[in-house]
Amino acid sequence: MQAMLAFENAPPLAAPLRFFLTAPLFAVLAGLLVAFEGPDIFASRWTPGALAATHLITIGFMLQVMLGALIQILPVVAGANLKRPLAVARSVNIGLSVGVLLLAAGLLSGMPTLLGSAALILALTVLLFLVVTIMALIGVPTTSPTIRGIKFALFSLAVVVGLGVVLALGLAYGWPLPLMALADLHAGWGLGGWAGVLLAAMAYVVVPMFQLTPGYPARPSWWFPVFMLLMLLLWSAGLLADWPLLPPLAQLGAALAGITFAGQTLRLQGMRRRARPDATYRYWQLGLVASIFALFLLSTVAVWPAAADIDGWALAFGVLLMAGGFLPFIAGMLYKIVPFLSWMHLQNSGQAKVPAPAMNKILSEPEMHRQMLAYAAALALLLAAIFFPTWLARPAGLAFAVANGWLWWNLARAIRRYRGHLADIEVALAAKLATP
Amino acid sequence: MSHAKTPHVVDARYMEPPEPFVATMEMLDTLKEGEKMLLLLFREPHPLYKVLRQNGHDYETELLPDGTFEILISR
Repeated sequence: MQAMLAFENAPPLAAPLRFFLTAPLFAVLAGLLVAFEGPDIFASRWTPGALAATHLITIGFMLQVMLGALIQILPVVAGANLKRPLAVARSVNIGLSVGVLLLAAGLLSGMPTLLGSAALILALTVLLFLVVTIMALIGVPTTSPTIRGIKFALFSLAVVVGLGVVLALGLAYGWPLPLMALADLHAGWGLGGWAGVLLAAMAYVVVPMFQLTPGYPARPSWWFPVFMLLMLLLWSAGLLADWPLLPPLAQLGAALAGITFAGQTLRLQGMRRRARPDATYRYWQLGLVASIFALFLLSTVAVWPAAADIDGWALAFGVLLMAGGFLPFIAGMLYKIVPFLSWMHLQNSGQAKVPAPAMNKILSEPEMHRQMLAYAAALALLLAAIFFPTWLARPAGLAFAVANGWLWWNLARAIRRYRGHLADIEVALAAKLATP
Repeated sequence: MSHAKTPHVVDARYMEPPEPFVATMEMLDTLKEGEKMLLLLFREPHPLYKVLRQNGHDYETELLPDGTFEILISR
């Protein structure tokens, strides 16, 4: 009875799953785009292909999973219940999917109508999500670093989307804007203020919970979101006031904060009580190490700006942070969340009369491990392709598409098994209830 | 395990979900009227809070410097 009551908090499984099942497909698309465009895409971070692939990853994959996971996890980590989670999930999932396809097409073609409609759809979609989430969070006291992190991250999400809209329209209609400096700021708010702070807020909960590590010390956890936001505000102010010293200083501060967080997480993982490393643990190790390298590249540029002109520097930073950092963090979390949510729903549907199957019956460790190895190989190829694009651009794109398609296949397989077990449990339960 | 606040303690810091929830509910059942129990966790258990409120239990939470949330629950 008690467990049933707790379960009432959870939104329907379908709400987050639709995001989890669409996200890998956009990463597949990004890989195919790299394979199709070939070596040219690695010429610079500003090529239409590189911009399109980046947004297929950041919006199509990262933002999809992050918003879907938030719909699921807000009641659990903040006690905040979204109104009509299924309807919100459907609209946001469709809005993001259509919006990112239009944006990728707009960036590739430069067509103003595509860029304009992408900006409109993405802005309205994120606005809908923000309104619903903020309504749920109103009155929720900031009693943990996680809740503070979520609130600060949502503010950054509004900023990154606002800047994105300005950039898309500026690009479409030739507005006289400092596009490159604004794009850097847009990336800073997106990767640091939104994705980075949200990741930390979630890590405070899921790393100790799923990897059985000690907790994150309270004081730095409270300060991390504040510090990141402060750095991004300084960066923005430096750009607005045309004070060129501020942005690199703020970038250095944000990079060092990120390195500290990643180092702390590695330290906690070293003290974990789960003896055998699983796919989540390994994915996180990969993500942490790659992020530290990426942020090291960023800090170097902050103190030695000429480094940014070294061939491949900016691309290496982007690939290391997104394909090397955020995607592995997310895949690692999906490999815990999807089996766990499935198990929880099965457990509940058995009504304490029919036991749920073990979580490894939903998705087994070897299945996840093999996919992770394929992903790590694709990442290595992508990094190598920055320096040897002629030979490796197309194989790297294909490998990235295959690894993400495999992730999709694993998740879809888990859902299929969940549905099979659910049907079995319902039959067994009906039989039990029928016998007096 | 005992604690300055109460002798009834569930240290769920290295337990996997849903063990902390189950262990807390089991210990609450053993408490007498007026007794308190302490739950130690590395996160705030909002779903548990909701159940506690629905069942009329009071609780107070304190976050310690090492990241432990101490949740003192009244019978």
